[in-house]
Amino acid sequence: MDWPPANRRSRTTRREQNLALLSAVASGAVIAVALVLLLLSRSNPETGARLRGTAIDVAAPIWSVVRVPFDALGAGADWVGDYFAAVSRNRILQAQNAAQAHALQQQAAVLRENAQLKALLKVVEPGPRVLAVARIAGASSGGVVRSALISAGHDHGLAPGQPVRVADGLVGRTLETGNHSARVLLLTDVNSRVPVLIERTGQPALAIGNNGGLLEVRDRVGAEVPLVAGDRLITSGDGGIFAPGIPVAVVVNGKAEPPLARPFVNPLGLGLVLVETPYLPVPTTTETPHDSTPIPREAGGSRPKPMPASTSPRAVASAPSATPSSAAPAGGAVPPTPLASKAPAGKTPVTKPAQPQP
Amino acid sequence: MNGLNTDIPYRLMSSDERLRWWTGQWRRIIPAAVTLGLTLVLTMPVFSTGAALPQLGLLSVFVWAMFQPGLMPPWLAFLLGLVADVLLGLPLGINACLFPLTALFVQNFEARFGHHVYGFDWLMLGAVALAYAVLAWQFLHFAGNDAALWVLLLQWMTTVAAYPVVVALCASLQRRFLGSSV
Repeated sequence: MDWPPANRRSRTTRREQNLALLSAVASGAVIAVALVLLLLSRSNPETGARLRGTAIDVAAPIWSVVRVPFDALGAGADWVGDYFAAVSRNRILQAQNAAQAHALQQQAAVLRENAQLKALLKVVEPGPRVLAVARIAGASSGGVVRSALISAGHDHGLAPGQPVRVADGLVGRTLETGNHSARVLLLTDVNSRVPVLIERTGQPALAIGNNGGLLEVRDRVGAEVPLVAGDRLITSGDGGIFAPGIPVAVVVNGKAEPPLARPFVNPLGLGLVLVETPYLPVPTTTETPHDSTPIPREAGGSRPKPMPASTSPRAVASAPSATPSSAAPAGGAVPPTPLASKAPAGKTPVTKPAQPQP
Repeated sequence: MNGLNTDIPYRLMSSDERLRWWTGQWRRIIPAAVTLGLTLVLTMPVFSTGAALPQLGLLSVFVWAMFQPGLMPPWLAFLLGLVADVLLGLPLGINACLFPLTALFVQNFEARFGHHVYGFDWLMLGAVALAYAVLAWQFLHFAGNDAALWVLLLQWMTTVAAYPVVVALCASLQRRFLGSSV
């Protein structure tokens, strides 16, 4: 229509003038509507929740279909790759197996002892319940939002604010739900804040995404104790969404400010994920916890308050509850470092049995 | 001649020409469909750590506003931006505001300064995409999303780098379906 360009540029006829005026008015109107929408989404972030649910319901099946041949290719490549280096891997695994068999025996004793102690103390622990096993069917990696689409939704009992995990660790939490698909806020998103525990020291902290590949460890209680590369972060159970003891990340740079940690789970290779109920049931009348909770902003992370008095009781109190559940999914990750002996007094009997190697 | 590029009033067409006119009307949705498809590409399950996929929707709106201003009016860009916001999980109104602004700017710029060499278009896209990144950053902050500017600047770079590909795609569609010599 307009290419090649029309010869006359001046708008001569009445009809063309009217059309130009109409299109100018329409342009102004749509931009005004867009600004109003922006204002609405500031005052109420739930704006268009139904619309979003419908959109992901449309987008998720498309990628479920498109990814089938790629999944097959990847599976084939894995199958071929398994045959290379099979012998050396087998030897390594056998050595690991021997080491772990010993640790498992001691773990069983510790678990039993822990169960007895909990029974004596009458500890009430809500157990997480798996709502759905869903396939990752899409993502949003366009810059500012790190999210994944999964192929289970409202019909499967999903709602915003439920933890999403795999056996290796935490993936994120649900953000929006459609009828048969949901959007998952990944750990690396800038709005993701996960209450974690440093496994070695028992310090609570927040793992915050920055849209890159790593997580920032902020608001750590007792920040004067340096983190070392290899420190594992597990969920603490604070906040009521994530059950305690799910592996979250491993510190890769403890000297950086804030310290940086790499998530255990990279969503790229995941096929299926688990969606669980929130750890502590949220009362139905209140809203699910939202990203804009003021905790991280006000604590800032830039200048953590020294709280030596509160450090050790907190660590002692949280250590027993964190250990038994963390023992289960902690595949073959980083072994406890010798620095564990520097941990607060209440922590040592718990970490010690895992130490001796055959 | 396809049905779109005819100047003959409908009443004066022969029945053959009328048939061609009617069967050619589907071509009007090509720019919108391409933009929609490219936005959908951005939701593909690739989790790039660190890198950011180019803003393909913006590129498509930019290119079609240049190639076919009549088929990419600002109100259509608004609807496409709304879909992009919803699909990418952004606060409503960010792309819905910036896409029509892009279309409006390109149309006025083209009408005023006419057609020019390819490299200049690329430069202009760089400026538009940079303005997009900064405005989107501000809008995101306004809507309560603390995205860092460096992520958007990274996306700006990939967007500028992806421009030739999108231009090639749109130009081939333009030649195949919308050109005057079809």
